Order: sequence, then C-alpha cells, then structure tokens
Amino acid sequence: MKLNPELIDEIKKYGAFDISACFNCGNCTAVCPLSKEDASFPRKLIRAGHVGMEEKIGSALEPWHCYYCGECSATCPREAQPGEYMMALRRYLIARYDITGLSKLFYKAGWLQTWLTAGLFAAVLWLYRSYTGDFGALAAKIEMAFPVYVTIALGGYILNMYRHAIVKPLGGIKASLKPAHIVETFVHGFTQKNFIGCEETDWTRWIAHLLVMSGYTLTLVISNLHLLEPLNKRYPVIGPVSLLVWYAGFAILVGGGLMTLRRVFKSAESSKFSHPSDWLFVIMMFLIGVSTLATLGLNVLRGPADPLLAQVYRVNIAIETVWILLVVPFTKWIHIFFRPLAVYFQHVRKEVEAGTAFSL
Amino acid sequence: MDEKITEQAAKENYRQEPKVGVYVCHCGGNISDVIDVKKVAEALSKYPGVVVAREYAFMCSSNGQDLITEDIKKLGVNRTVVAACSPSLHELTFRGVLQRAGVNPYLHEHVNIREQASWVHKLDKAGATAKAIKLAQAGVEKVLRKDALNAIRVAAEQRVAVIGGGAAGMRAALSAAGKGLEAVIIEKGPRLGGKLLELGKLYPSGEDGAEVVKKLENLVLAEKKISVHVGAEIDFVSGFVGNFKINFKKPDGRSEQVKAGAIVMATGYEHYKPHKGEFGYGEDANVLTLPEFVSLMKKLPGGRLEYGGREIKSLALIHCVGSRQVEGVHKPQADGKVNDYCSRVCCTAAVHTANQIKEKFPGVRLYDVYRDIRTYGMKHEEYYEKASKDGVLFFRHTETDQPAVTSDRTGHTIKVKDVLTWGEELEFKADLIVLVTGMMPSDISLIKSQLKLPSSADRFLQEVHLKLRPVELANAGLFIAGAAQYPMDSTEAMASAGTAAAKAGILLAEPDIPLEPFVAVVDEAKCTGCGLCPAECSYDGALMMAEKNGKKVAVVNPALCKGCGACAAVCPTRAINVAGWTLDQFDAMVEAIAKE
Repeated sequence: MKLNPELIDEIKKYGAFDISACFNCGNCTAVCPLSKEDASFPRKLIRAGHVGMEEKIGSALEPWHCYYCGECSATCPREAQPGEYMMALRRYLIARYDITGLSKLFYKAGWLQTWLTAGLFAAVLWLYRSYTGDFGALAAKIEMAFPVYVTIALGGYILNMYRHAIVKPLGGIKASLKPAHIVETFVHGFTQKNFIGCEETDWTRWIAHLLVMSGYTLTLVISNLHLLEPLNKRYPVIGPVSLLVWYAGFAILVGGGLMTLRRVFKSAESSKFSHPSDWLFVIMMFLIGVSTLATLGLNVLRGPADPLLAQVYRVNIAIETVWILLVVPFTKWIHIFFRPLAVYFQHVRKEVEAGTAFSL
Repeated sequence: MDEKITEQAAKENYRQEPKVGVYVCHCGGNISDVIDVKKVAEALSKYPGVVVAREYAFMCSSNGQDLITEDIKKLGVNRTVVAACSPSLHELTFRGVLQRAGVNPYLHEHVNIREQASWVHKLDKAGATAKAIKLAQAGVEKVLRKDALNAIRVAAEQRVAVIGGGAAGMRAALSAAGKGLEAVIIEKGPRLGGKLLELGKLYPSGEDGAEVVKKLENLVLAEKKISVHVGAEIDFVSGFVGNFKINFKKPDGRSEQVKAGAIVMATGYEHYKPHKGEFGYGEDANVLTLPEFVSLMKKLPGGRLEYGGREIKSLALIHCVGSRQVEGVHKPQADGKVNDYCSRVCCTAAVHTANQIKEKFPGVRLYDVYRDIRTYGMKHEEYYEKASKDGVLFFRHTETDQPAVTSDRTGHTIKVKDVLTWGEELEFKADLIVLVTGMMPSDISLIKSQLKLPSSADRFLQEVHLKLRPVELANAGLFIAGAAQYPMDSTEAMASAGTAAAKAGILLAEPDIPLEPFVAVVDEAKCTGCGLCPAECSYDGALMMAEKNGKKVAVVNPALCKGCGACAAVCPTRAINVAGWTLDQFDAMVEAIAKE
C-alpha cells in the first residue's frame, strides 16, 4: 500500500497535536470500553493516520464509535492524547464528508467561524429589527424553512459518508435490509446509548449530555414545528407548550453550564482540549436557552404585545437562524447523525463480508 | 592470602597425623531433596581417617564455615572434604576457611554431589545417595594424599601494555598511570583517538567526538608515565603473566620491543561493511552507512541537506544491518557464520542521529525501519521519544520479513511488512537511505593466535565471567577494555577501560605475582630423559629437556605451565605429576569408588 506521508500533518490541523508521540503500545485500545474486535480503536487508527493510509482513514467508521471518555489519554504512557486524536479524526472526517469545504475552512482557521457567526448574527438581527410587517408570521416562515435546510445539508453529508465508508472501499452500493439493523440504527440515533457503555464514573458528563440533548431536541421540535408563537397569543405559566419550553430552556442552561464549567476548569480528560468550534457550540447553545426562556417569560409576565418581548423574540429567532445556517451543518453538532449511521454501516460491512448484503 | 602463615601452617600440617573433617551440604534442598544427607554423613564418619562428618543446610554460609573452623580448633581437623556444589562455585570459599584457621588451603577437597549426583539422579534417590557416599569417600582418599602446596610467585614487570589507542586505550593507560604504573600505548593508526575521531555529537553529553579525543590525548601526552607508539604494527607477542614481550614495527620500519607485566586489550571494533547490493549499498550512490552519514553531516552547514549535488528531502534509516542476522536470510561472513548478535549501540545512535537531522535540517522527512528499538542506556529512551514526537515515522518488521529497497532515477522505494500496521505491506519513497550498521571485532587474529586468547561465538574477546570477572581474559595477566569485548558505546568503553586498568593495578601491586600451584612437577630420580613429554606440551616453553646434575631431565617452567597433565599422561615411568592432582591420588580414588 502506497503511503501519503503528509496525511498526519493534515490531521493534526484538526487537533491531536501530540499524536506523533505514539509508539504503538496499544494501551489505549486495551482500556477502551467501546473498542471491539471487529472495530478496534484507537491504536489501529493512530497507526493508519501516522503512516498515511489515506483510504483507511477516509473510510473509517471507528471514530464515530468513540464517545471520548478519555480513558485512553489517561493511560497513554507517552501522553500522545489518543482521545483527542479520535476527536480530531471526527473533525477531519466531517470536513471530508462536507462538499462545500466550509467545515474544513472553519476547523482549520480556528476562530474564523466565530467571527463569521457574530457577523451573520448582527446582520440577521438588523434585518429582523428593520422588518416592519408582522414578525410573528415571518418567524413562522423562517422556522418552517429550518428543517428543509437541515435536511438538504444532512442529506449531502450522509451521501458522502456512504460514498467514503461503503461505496469506495467495498466497490459498489451495498446495504443491509435486516430490520434489526435498521431498528438498532434508530435506537442509537435517539439514545446515543453507546455513550453509557463508556461512562462508568463520569455521571456529571452523562447527565449534562442528557440534559443538553433532550433540551436541544425539544427546542428543535418547538422551533421547527413553530409551536411557540409569543407575539400572537399569551401563554400560561403552566400549559403544554410552556412546560416544554421551560424544560428545554432550563435543561440547556444547566447542562450547557456544566459543560462550560468543565471546559473552563479542564476537569476531565474529555474537556482538556477545547477547539474554537467547541466554545462556539456551547456558547450558542447557552444563548438559545437563555433567549427562549426570556421570550416565554416576557410573554407570560407582560403579554404578547410587550415591546421588549418583540425585541427579545427577534434576538431569539436571529440566534436560531445563525445556528441553523452555520453551526449545525459545519461543526460538531452533526456528529449525532454520524454515530448511528456508523453503527449501521458497520453492519453493512459485516454483511458484505458474509456475502449476505444487498447490492446494486 | 597471607603467605607467611600459609608456609608455617604447611610445615606443621605436614608433620601432623591426618585428621579429615567431612561436611555434607544440603544446598537448601538442591541436594538434600534427593540425597539422604544424614546417611552420607553417617557413612563417612566411619570411614578410615575421618574424625568428624557433619551435614548442614548451607555450608557456604557463615554459620556453615564456622562449623569447619570450630572443628579445626577443637578436634584438630587438618584436612577437609566438602561434599556440596561444583568446585568452580565454592572451592575458593572453603580454601579461605582453612587459610583463616591456620591450615594450608590446598589440604581441602571439594566433592561435587549436586551436579554429579542430586541433579542428575533425581528419580533414583537411593542410587544418588550411594553415589554421593562413594564420591565423598574418594574425596577422603584424595585429601589424605594431598601435599601442602604454596602459591608460585613470579617476578613482574611494573608496566602495563595497552594495545589500541582509542578512547578505551587512552582511558586504561591514564587509569594505570594514576595507580603509579608505567603504561605503554601501542596504536596501529597514525594518531590516537580511534573510532571516536569519526563521530560527531556524542550522546548524552553533546560533546564532539574529536573534542573528547583531544581532551584525552592532552592528558595522555602530559602524563610522564605513559609512552605512546602510533603507526605501530605488532608482529610478535609472547610471554606469560608478569613477563609479556610485545614486538612491533614502527612507521620508520625499525623494530621495537615492550616488556610488560600485564596487557590491556583495547583493540576495539570495525564497522560492519554491507556487502555489495545489500539494500542497494555499493550500487546506488544514495545509500550510505550510518558512520558515513555522520561524517557527511558533520561537514554540512545546516538548513538544506544535500548529497551528491541533490537536495535530500526524505531519508530512511534501516536498522540492524550486519546485526541480529538470521541464518538463511542473511549472507554469512567469511567464517561462514552470520552476525546473530545485537550491536547494542546502533539503535540509540540512529535515533540520536535522527534528532540531529531534525534539528539541523528541519525540512527533511524521516523514516526509521527497525526490528526492535533497543535504546537501553540511561536516558536513551528519551531520544527515541523525542524522535517520535518530532515526527520520525517508525516501521517495524520481523526477523524473516526484511525490508526491501528498489532504486530508480526518482529515488528509493522501500517496502516494509509492518508489524505495527497489522502486517500490511507499506510502501514509501526516500531520497537517501542510511544503513544503521553494526560492529564487528577488529582483526586481531595474530595476537589471538600467539597468546591463545579465547573468543566468544560472536568473534569478540571473551571474558572469564560476564558478571564476576567482566574484564579478565582466561589468560592470566590479560584484560579487556572497551568494544573488543562486545559492542559498546564510548561511555561504556571508558568505564570498562577503567576497570581493566584497576584489575591490572591489583595484579601488579606487588613486585611478584602469586600463581596457582597446580603445575607439573618432575621427580628427577624417576625421569629417564626419554623426551616424550615436551612434544605433548601445548604451552611454548612450559616444559623442556635440560641437563641437570649431569643428567638429561624434563624441566618445567611453573609460570607457563597450565597444569593440563598432558605430559603426565605420556610419561612411562610416572616421573611427572601435576601438583594437587597426582597419579597416586587418582589410584586411591578409583579404588575407593570400585571397592564393594
């Protein structure tokens, strides 16, 4: 196999600055609670990256099986930070799957995405504030457009991941039609259940993750279905929509707050290294929580016609717009989709090996 | 040993009636688990000539030794038999016990009932016990016939000859001079320094090889007790401990002789020279050995690595060239054997060089192809770690799957079946290949054959015991310093040189040297002067025919005789005996063993 010696330098641009120290002892793989015989990591992936096996890395599914508990980094005798390398590989793969090339630019250029986000936010907010018509009706249209945009972006990613992980290495379109495999893929998608497999002691991270995940998913449902119309009607403190919003907002605040504190104090292996995209992610998430809570709070206290509510609601929608446009497709957010897909593709590979896969 | 006490004791012992003490050792179960030691002691206590027989867990322990001392004092024991381990392990221990108790140390017999009975007859306990009894009884018969012997003393030249003027040779000469001895360095090269002159930055100090040579050389030249001969070609070495003669030719063609009491062999090593075509060596200009590359790198300014008019952007180091060779895979050396030993220093030298390349020519991509990384020395692992961290890419192959190099106009393509990449065959390109070559001993066949020096299977000089007597050769008065013994780096070579000089200093501390008394002794009354024995003697000058009191007899030079007994075997009149191992003793032993 011909090697590309430049590959490791390329991967290092996504993090994993210490990975060259690795001398292949394999302690990382030995302690990893998620590494399996048929999907062994991190050592094999580190080696493949090191020597420059580009196709092997490009088609790798293992990075998506990793939930970064950090056991490997804590055990590494050369402090090569294998956990951080897995994180870097996920960024590298996201950039590889992304056809626009924007992810690559954002990851490599560090703070560029932050400035771009801030600029876009300012522009969008200015636009929304200068809109003189019925903003409630406009917000409904904007929110309805979100799922369309996300679906298109995601579709592109999924197709590309499929191309890299299945079509290229296995030489054609292959799939598994077994119901069990499809069901498992959905279960993983909703629960990210492998995560529990790796968390034995770090309950704080698990709870924070669960709060953020559930809060965020709820926010997504609320905004994409346009459930909250604060400028059109008054909501009671306790009611079906209010309860959903209260929970979503506070879950994000508490979970996101915990995550931020861990990043600031670097209290766990997984939070030692923070890429600019990580900071952008948690801060934006936090702002979404705060602005959503403020919107409902003002509506409950002062009614839909309150002028301050009109301004706060515009801020809330502006943040969500920027989030959907820039953060969702081009940063770590989409990993929640790649994880279950990787589980599914792993099944496809096994089926291909066994000769029982569906082929076109 | 205090010679005066021994001599006095010898005279007294001789007149005394023999009283033998027999001591049976359990060797902590090694012996007593198989042999019924109580039964052995009991049988021996009834044997003629024996006044006491005891058994004990560890005779060699201080408690065990005290048992013997007390019997000597209280019971008047004046000869001992210890039935225990091999005499090579503890005979000297018990001779010391006798000596300290005022008995001639050679009136001791060490019987081996461990290797020769308990270990080899594990399944036959009764048989092993019976055999131990017989062996111990034979030992009693032998010790009853022993004479009180005294060490032979030979006068010694108070001078150390150091063959080889590299780092080890200079260090040995300096240490010997520091102990007040004269030292003579005999170096075949045109100047002092040896292989150190070729090297650039040394690990771990970072000093330049030539600088270290300069420092040592200045010290050597300033020392009045050291004389130096460079460009000297040794043509004849002869003599024995205390009295060696080294003849050599000087650069001007004149001959000179150095007399010395001890010789330090600091003859060093040669780089393994790859055969033509080994990884492209000798066929492609861009394949160098590590020593060649180090010399090249020393001369180049930093920034851009250039060789043969071309810029080198990538470089591959291949380890174990000429070391750890595998029969059937590698081409054998002239003697038909492959170099299956590890040259030890090359792994560290390779990663150390890689680090220097990274520092001096940061743009060069480095590959390192190895079988095992053995950076064994103090802090050497840090060089390996640094090389990894700085992006040197390591590949590991097995002993049978050697890397393959093909070359064309665009450079070299290296293929490695990489163990670390689950056995995948990986392929990469490099502009320059550096073969990390091993060490082979210098050609010292002339000295080796003239002094009959022992070599190991790896052709290096072999010490007596790697742990207990690490710098001594089996030939008395000869010591090894540095890489003549096995591959070592300059730090280790200088440490070993200091040790060799210290050992030579101990040997020459007194004007005469005590030697073991086990040499051939001629009974002139019985000798008929037939002349059969000198033909059998393997040691030049140890046994010769001479006129004595008007009679032609065999005469032994005790300093040269090794006590092999070849002369005793051919003597038709039993006129020659080896002291301590006489024919009468053997007769009595055989009889004791054969007796029903």
